[in-house]
Amino acid sequence: MPDPSFLLLQSLNGLTYAMFLFLIASGLSLIFGILGILNFAHGSLYMLGAYFTQQFVSLFVDAPGQFWWAVLFASLTVAALGAVIERFFLRHLYAREELYQLLFTYALVLILADFAKIIWGTGQFSVSRPALLKGAVPILDQFFPTYNLVIIFLGPCIAFTFWFTLLRTRWGRKIRAAALDREMLSSLGVHVNRLFTVVFFIGAWLAGLGGALVSPVSAIVPGMDVEVIINAFIVVVIGGLGSFWGTFLGSLIVGQVYALGILVFPRLSLAFIYVLMALVLIIRPWGLLGRPLQR
Amino acid sequence: MSKENWILLLFILLLLCIPLTESRFYVFLGTDILIFGLFAVSLNLLLGYTGLVSFGHATYFGIGAYTCALLMKKASVPFPLAFAAAGALGGISALVIGFFCVRLTKVYFAMLTLAFSQIVWAMAFKWNSLTGGDNGFVGVPFPQFLDSKVRFYYFTLGVVAGSLFLLRKVVNSPFGRILTTIRENPERTEFIGIHVKLFQLIAFMISGVFAAIAGALFGIFNHSVFPDILFWPASAEVLIMTLLGGIYNFFGPVVGAAVLLFVRMQVTSYTEHWPVILGFTLAFLLFFFPGGIMGFLQARFARPGGNR
Amino acid sequence: MRRSLMFWMVLSLVTLAFFSPQTADAQKKPILVGFPMILSGGGALFGKPSSVGAEMFVKEINAKGGILGRPIELIVRDCGNTPEEATRVAREIILKEKVDFLVGGLTASQGLALSEVAKTEKVLYIAPISKSTAMTDPDKLHPYVFRAAANTNTEGRSAAVFMAKHPWTKIATLGPDYEYGQMVTKAFVEWMKKNKPQVQIVHQGWPKLGETDYTPFIAPLLAAKPDAAFLSLWGGHFVTFAKQAKPYGFFEKVKVVAAGEGGSPETGMSLKDDLPLGITTNAYDVFYYPDTPEHKSYVERLKAYTKQEYPPSWAITGYIAVQFLAEAIKKANSTDTMKVIKALEGLTINTPIGKQTMRAKDHQATRGQVWGTTAKVPEYPFPILRPVEYIPADDLMD
Repeated sequence: MPDPSFLLLQSLNGLTYAMFLFLIASGLSLIFGILGILNFAHGSLYMLGAYFTQQFVSLFVDAPGQFWWAVLFASLTVAALGAVIERFFLRHLYAREELYQLLFTYALVLILADFAKIIWGTGQFSVSRPALLKGAVPILDQFFPTYNLVIIFLGPCIAFTFWFTLLRTRWGRKIRAAALDREMLSSLGVHVNRLFTVVFFIGAWLAGLGGALVSPVSAIVPGMDVEVIINAFIVVVIGGLGSFWGTFLGSLIVGQVYALGILVFPRLSLAFIYVLMALVLIIRPWGLLGRPLQR
Repeated sequence: MSKENWILLLFILLLLCIPLTESRFYVFLGTDILIFGLFAVSLNLLLGYTGLVSFGHATYFGIGAYTCALLMKKASVPFPLAFAAAGALGGISALVIGFFCVRLTKVYFAMLTLAFSQIVWAMAFKWNSLTGGDNGFVGVPFPQFLDSKVRFYYFTLGVVAGSLFLLRKVVNSPFGRILTTIRENPERTEFIGIHVKLFQLIAFMISGVFAAIAGALFGIFNHSVFPDILFWPASAEVLIMTLLGGIYNFFGPVVGAAVLLFVRMQVTSYTEHWPVILGFTLAFLLFFFPGGIMGFLQARFARPGGNR
Repeated sequence: MRRSLMFWMVLSLVTLAFFSPQTADAQKKPILVGFPMILSGGGALFGKPSSVGAEMFVKEINAKGGILGRPIELIVRDCGNTPEEATRVAREIILKEKVDFLVGGLTASQGLALSEVAKTEKVLYIAPISKSTAMTDPDKLHPYVFRAAANTNTEGRSAAVFMAKHPWTKIATLGPDYEYGQMVTKAFVEWMKKNKPQVQIVHQGWPKLGETDYTPFIAPLLAAKPDAAFLSLWGGHFVTFAKQAKPYGFFEKVKVVAAGEGGSPETGMSLKDDLPLGITTNAYDVFYYPDTPEHKSYVERLKAYTKQEYPPSWAITGYIAVQFLAEAIKKANSTDTMKVIKALEGLTINTPIGKQTMRAKDHQATRGQVWGTTAKVPEYPFPILRPVEYIPADDLMD
């Protein structure tokens, strides 16, 4: 029987990974739920968040709170980029079939990846953890990185903020209404187009934030966009495309399956996640917490 | 004979003459284009004719490639049998996977095809003893009576021409017409008594068979089979080829395959930034030429009441 | 009308490209060497410097008049990160550009794939980086394939040699779950079992290649309570791992011997203070060792060519591979493939890191490795290997 402190540690690792997944998947889910677009380029936005963070960190050399300012600026830059993409390009494809929208976001993946390569080259970048969070916290008889612990708490905070906004505020109500019936909303005088841009802005901001926060614990390399987007897809499918808490649940599940799966099926863990995704799509295609839809 | 058939004949004659140029490169390019042309047309049966967006078509291509190559290399199965087995296995897996996929629509359909394709990829990637794992396996032999590049080219030409002929028959048949009706309006089609899901499934299966045939040809052409042909960007690539050529035209995907393969070859000899060029081209296509190359040409040169 | 115009413009461009004249050189016809290398995605970090090293060699030799009076033209192409793409690119440059020779590929599977292409197209191929022994195994070996890099046996066994010097008995391994990781770990384990049987392998971790989150692998490894660990995570993967493992106190709890070039200056510069100190690791080349005149000259030239103060270590891989080829052509006094193959077998050349011989029996170069312990030094703003030594391959290869 593996000792409990080790299982706990492994579980916490899964939780950390889940929170990063949640940040990017929630943006993906939001964009799909409101705009009906499955954004392949979401992983690219995540990657750009990491690259920009690295850039800003080297710009704000030795400033107090250097890392957090970089995170803020980086995620906002990515959000702005997202808004631009929506406003000037994606908007024109809403009337078309899904295939066009899907393939356009794939085209974005290609373009953004190459842009990153042109701007930052093929080198690998690295960002240090913020000084305050460099250490580790003793848990039972093991150590767990402080930074990761902070991420674990940050995740639900952001989740709760968004949930609250969507449910309680006027903005949130408008956004939810737009998902249900944009024509009706538009005829009521709401600027639906502007609303959509805002939604994409927020979705992109979440992806950029994910990338920014992951930069101290992961390598900033070309290829991180493709790596993460498939996992994000799996999360939203399991949780339910467009369902907020579903995404949260999905992230938790994928994170734990990943962490604990390594102990149980060390070399099959790769396929396991895909099988899970397929099972959900077969048995309950709208995801665990999604709205049952007309199939 | 209609104008279109004359053009077709001309092309076939042109293709027959390629080996006469004594250029190993053109034979290589020609075989490549024919194989991917078939692959793309098989996808278009689903995409352009039935309106189903599959993001996992590479699965059947890969199954065809692995089956034929493995049987020939490891079990020393004679080529005709291995080839037939590849097509059959492609069809059967399409049937099984399709059964689950056609129950969904639109994005969910696409995601499930993607999920299955990743599962098959993961199997090929990890099953070292059977598939060679992430190394794939090399040393796929030419079949006995086709042991030269030129002979294999002619064989490929024959197989692809025959397959396209069959597929053409399928889309022009009553079955094919029903598929287009389904594409236009699935609910109404269901309403007039057609079992939509069944037709979609059959289309799925047929497209799987021909994709597997293309894959089997590819495994031999490439002399090696790697799991990368199952990985999802491969499915995206064939989608792009199909769209580029034109999804509303039967030969569109072949044109798309030819243009994409050719342009990529040219561009990569000048720059390493092919991805951004492809991305912009794709975006350009999506915004301004949704009908692809053939769509544009047809609109330009359409006769009043033009046919397909 | 505008759409039509766009269409015809694009069509004309494409047609023009089709009919573009093949570069028919009026002067001396260059020797064409195809160089497919990873220039995008995850592997580009090393592929790029490798191609830079090859380019520098070619530039230098052309400045001296080329080989046999002809310039070498290096045709560098992005071969992607997969063996499939590498195969396609290699066949394209062989058939379209009509290259005379092939040098390239990075990952083990790419090496195997390109070896196959070389065999079917009958083109001489030298692998600058791919380490898997499978390429030169008796059942896969064929006349056209050569390897200029070290192989997984050399690397795994040198690591075992280091490990065996210490009294550690409980050992864990952590390597990427693909050909290279599997083979190098196997070589390590087998050597240990043979030469120090009291050693126990208490845990083996297999993250996938290109894993971005190693934390689920760290805890199980620590839970097995090993004295030491053999890592084979290379380059950027090692960087990621080191960053993630540090807060767990990994490198204090477990003594590490790491294959996979963790001692490269690139890694040190990338990790800086996060590079674990006191671990034993290797590198292809380090600009501060050996202190020979050839090496110093090479480093100076590389600095000037790349305009970097601390030039990359992977450049040597491309450099030496093309150097082998060039010398073989010179010795054969011909570019005929079979003659060059004969010349290459048994050829000894003077590389910037010492003499290397291409063994005739298995087409493998006697390439050793630079091993050392990571330490902080006042001379450089990042940790380097000190002490450092070159372990020759001769005793470690079969």
